[in-house]
Amino acid sequence: MTIARFSPFELLLLKSRHQADTAALLLLAWVLANRGPIGEPERSRLTELTGGFRHGHALAPILEIAATQDLGAIQLAAEVLQKEIHGEQASPFLRLAIALAVEDGKLSMANQHVLRFLADLLGVSPGEFAPLFEAVAGRAFADPDDPSRSGYWQAKEHRRRQREQESQRQDDRQHSRSHSGREGSHRRKEEESKWQQAGGREQHRQERYRQEQHRQHERGARQDPPPGDRTRRALAVLGLEPGASRSEIRHAYRRLAQAHHPDRFFNAGEAVMASASQRFQRIRRAYDYLMQVS
Amino acid sequence: MRDLYKRLGLDPRAGEVEITGAIERCEHTALRADARTVLEVGSRREEYDALHVTLSDIGRLRARLGLTHAPYWRDGPADDFSLPPDTHGSRHDELMQRLTRAALLHNRWQRLRGPWLAAALFALGIMLGMGLCRWLP
Repeated sequence: MTIARFSPFELLLLKSRHQADTAALLLLAWVLANRGPIGEPERSRLTELTGGFRHGHALAPILEIAATQDLGAIQLAAEVLQKEIHGEQASPFLRLAIALAVEDGKLSMANQHVLRFLADLLGVSPGEFAPLFEAVAGRAFADPDDPSRSGYWQAKEHRRRQREQESQRQDDRQHSRSHSGREGSHRRKEEESKWQQAGGREQHRQERYRQEQHRQHERGARQDPPPGDRTRRALAVLGLEPGASRSEIRHAYRRLAQAHHPDRFFNAGEAVMASASQRFQRIRRAYDYLMQVS
Repeated sequence: MRDLYKRLGLDPRAGEVEITGAIERCEHTALRADARTVLEVGSRREEYDALHVTLSDIGRLRARLGLTHAPYWRDGPADDFSLPPDTHGSRHDELMQRLTRAALLHNRWQRLRGPWLAAALFALGIMLGMGLCRWLP
């Protein structure tokens, strides 16, 4: 029989005077590691924030473990925290995590997901977590961006270009200040360009609004097609030809409802059951409609 | 976020040639356009990969902790990054098991140390004696 080795984090946890605090510390360090490289300022900030912790061991090994993103250690810490912290006790820890995540002004994409994970871990619902985030960070908890879409990159690069232009303009301004003679005309030009930009933005917004209205209009139009069409589609849902009799409809409905009833898929998993219940709803709606009409 | 690698049937460590090939083979126009924007530009792919690793890690953690249907995961990254529930069991329980076993071994050693040490010393003495008798003269 061999004695299994203990990992560094397990040893730390065994040595700790307060296991929940050690676990919380590792998860906070994980948040830090997802923000960027951990340097001296981050380290001192973490020490400052966790002054009330009672773990009684050094911080350095924890930061090392977090920097390697050791999944086993993080899982163990999450389990310990889940066991020790529930209900009201969760919010002080989440406050710390949020404060660390938004320290340098912006919330990294990785941390958006990490914070969501921590909220779920401690059983804090989105309805409670969003106000908590707003109280600590001073802004709303937005949905995470999606870098798997081209739109994200276009917006990002557009923003960067604007920032570059702005900094260039500032350079220009400084330049013109040194040549005070040309200042007036320069400023006027600048203001003109600003106006143009604002005008362009306004136009863009109006255009989008128009498009949206147009879309809504289309959707509205789609909602009430001619009645004959709806009957035909409802019959198609039940697999019948136009002109089917009432008894035929009832017969088809019974057969399909039996085949697609969600209770039949109880063992096949949630996703299958959900899709079955959607199909069932469609069938029942079609049947209800046909019974009303005919 | 969608897992472009999974949707294109690629390994996340795939090289540029494989990626280009997979994108050309893909039949979904929107997905092809997005993959081309994201994966064929080095700097974008690096950033995407960093988030991809984090999300895969979180997906694995959620599978092990039974959080795959928690409110913040349900409709979003869950589609592509959820794994089937993990039956490895809790790390904490495993740690406790190992600790118990270590403590048991320690106790047993404490209890049997005296007799075992005596027996070992006795055996060593006999061996030494035998060796001396055999080789000395």
